Amino acid sequence: MEKNAFTALEERILALAGDDLPDSPAPFADIAAAAGTDEETVLALLRRLKDDGIIRRFGATLRHQKAGWGHNAMVAWRVDDPDQALAVGEVMARHPQISHCYIRRTYPEWPYNLYTMIHGRNPGDCDQVAEGLSRSTGVTDYQMVQSVRELKKTSMRYFPKENEE
Amino acid sequence: MDSQDKQILDLIQSGFPLTPRPYAEVGRELGLTEAEVLARVRSLRQRGVIRRVGANFGSRSLGWRSTLCAAKVPEDRLEAFVAEVNRHPGVTHNYLRRHEFNVWFTYIGPDWDNVESTLAGITEKTGIPILNLPASKMFKIKVDFAMDDA
Repeated sequence: MEKNAFTALEERILALAGDDLPDSPAPFADIAAAAGTDEETVLALLRRLKDDGIIRRFGATLRHQKAGWGHNAMVAWRVDDPDQALAVGEVMARHPQISHCYIRRTYPEWPYNLYTMIHGRNPGDCDQVAEGLSRSTGVTDYQMVQSVRELKKTSMRYFPKENEE
Repeated sequence: MDSQDKQILDLIQSGFPLTPRPYAEVGRELGLTEAEVLARVRSLRQRGVIRRVGANFGSRSLGWRSTLCAAKVPEDRLEAFVAEVNRHPGVTHNYLRRHEFNVWFTYIGPDWDNVESTLAGITEKTGIPILNLPASKMFKIKVDFAMDDA
């Protein structure tokens, strides 16, 4: 896919909008002032990119732990047949406690191809969800990979700030 | 967190208004004033419930490439390995996990060559092989967590 070409002004706006919004009643006017344009230009760009899906989501990113969703587990499932993997993935993706569901590359020492990220409010929730999914899909070969500690969590910065270039 | 905080969070995770006075608009939906909404969002940020408010870009739609990586890292080399991995801005998530493959991180780079050369560079520096697990099919990325579902 071809990279999107943004103007220098658009890149300044997106660097600011991709960071943390200023704590202000009119954050887009503040971004406009910092980027050297007007508020309507900022809002029109953000709305267009959101409509196009380039901005996947605009809003608050939560710390799940502090928001009451303190437990998560990654479960990697082995579904060797590609058609079956697609069918099982569709079913698993519909589960409300699953945030991410992907098919990924495998290796001889790691044959698990279908990945689900499960979130729970209480200890044991994730195991229950995994057991339920195993029963409902008939996939019994899976690896539960519980998190022990967060080592890094940040948001990707695709547009560097001016003083970093 | 009270029920009004939860209603605000449910609204602004995906639906933060792209309008000149976004907090006034959230307030109109929920029967609060602009000042009340702004004060509650400020408090949620200060308490660390909200990590950030802003745009989240789809790496793929910007032409970038992302992958999940796994490694088996011996206890005595963990600190050095994590330091080398985390130094890369493209590493956005990294977790220690209870498994033989005990370190799992995500990497986002401008193209596949960058992804592969970066992972090869980490292995060269640390001597730890890395499983590169790019996705071939994406069923779901959900980022909203229901707060007010009682």
